[in-house]
Amino acid sequence: MSSFAAGWRIQRRVIGALMIRELVTRFGRENIGFLWMMVEPLLFAGLVGILWRYMKGPEMHGVSVVAFVASGYIPLTLFRNSVGRSIRVFSVNGSLMYHRQIKVLDFIFVRFLIEMIGAMMAFLLIGTLLIFFDLFPVPADLGALLAGWFFFCLFTFSLCLVLAPLSELSDALEKLVPVTTYVMIPFSGVFNMTSWLTPQAQKVMYYSPFVHSMELMRYGIFGSRIDAQWDIFVPFAASILFLLIGLALCRRIRRHLVVE
Amino acid sequence: MIHCERVTKSYPMGAGRKHVLRGVDLTVERGDHVGFLGRNGAGKTTLIKLIAGVELPTSGRIRRERSVSWPLGFGGGFQGSLTGYDNARFISRIYGLQYSQIRDFVEDFSELGVQLKMPVKTYSSGMRARLAFALSLAIEFDCYLIDEVIMVGDQNFLKKCHYELFEKRRDRALIFASHSAELVREFCDRALVIEQGHATLYPDVNEALDVYAAL
Repeated sequence: MSSFAAGWRIQRRVIGALMIRELVTRFGRENIGFLWMMVEPLLFAGLVGILWRYMKGPEMHGVSVVAFVASGYIPLTLFRNSVGRSIRVFSVNGSLMYHRQIKVLDFIFVRFLIEMIGAMMAFLLIGTLLIFFDLFPVPADLGALLAGWFFFCLFTFSLCLVLAPLSELSDALEKLVPVTTYVMIPFSGVFNMTSWLTPQAQKVMYYSPFVHSMELMRYGIFGSRIDAQWDIFVPFAASILFLLIGLALCRRIRRHLVVE
Repeated sequence: MIHCERVTKSYPMGAGRKHVLRGVDLTVERGDHVGFLGRNGAGKTTLIKLIAGVELPTSGRIRRERSVSWPLGFGGGFQGSLTGYDNARFISRIYGLQYSQIRDFVEDFSELGVQLKMPVKTYSSGMRARLAFALSLAIEFDCYLIDEVIMVGDQNFLKKCHYELFEKRRDRALIFASHSAELVREFCDRALVIEQGHATLYPDVNEALDVYAAL
């Protein structure tokens, strides 16, 4: 048990040190420093929300446009940024392999963690702000919102764990990632509810792990004002599958990693 | 304390593979000072990286029973965009040590002064060596891995390294890759000659140097 405790202590130390290192390299110590990590999701959610408000009116399908867009854009930026950050993460962080207490999973996880914390801070801030202006409902079911967020994050992370090692094997992947993340937007459930779609489209959407997490999140925010439908088994099973594949791939890449 | 058993390492090269190490056995005990000799590209650095765990062997096994430093070399181990101080902070965090102690030691040992506030990528190789040595000596390892780097320093730096490594820490193990016969003769009590992927350990350093000179 004591060796487990010691391992846990080292793990926490390493994660903490890597987080600070990453934040200092990416954002520096000037002006607002690490708070930059929430600026991008905040701006996206805020500005696109305002844009949609003037394009589509104050409400669509009975819910606030601004609230709907904001609650979609924050998970979307989390997903896009984490995936982008996991590309070539092994080669970029090769010098960390000089310290045996640092494992490859640590820096993949840390990059995701920073995106996740930034997105959560942005979510909290924009939610509070919009509630204040009466543009965002007080969450109807906080548990459902958090559960939806958790499954969204879990699946995003499991995807990063697969893409990070794959990007080391193939240069083409790096080029394909931005366009793929863009094309997947309609299948992510961030800008529409499944119940708004045709029955045929609904069938397709059922297989998207993101959709179920988004529906659950939306239910947590809007409650019974929207018709949310989810099956948590889909994101859960997909995450477990991707985690296992990702772990195996990471192990393989680590074995062959060449460090300068 | 360090055991290499039938360690091989190969890298992809074109359609085939380049075999750098073809089955190396080596045991280093506490207090051993082992010199690694070999021509450029013979695999000295590769073997040091494997012992440090920076890269993993293609086959074979490496066991470490005590703490082993990272390889002190010209490159690697630093985050170039961070300052010397930030690198010191990072090292103290991952090794769970007090930053103020490490900082004091690094300032004193490296004599880099205000340069420590500059990103490491702006350092010359001599300055990098100073920082690398200072950081690894600030942490008490049982075995130090030194890859050439000691030779880039000036006389004063060499004297300091000599004192810290060979006098204060004479009981530690030391692995030291070098082309300098003089340094190996002075500091090592055994030497490993690496040639064509095979490594031979000579208990007599002079004999090893003769073999190396004849390569």
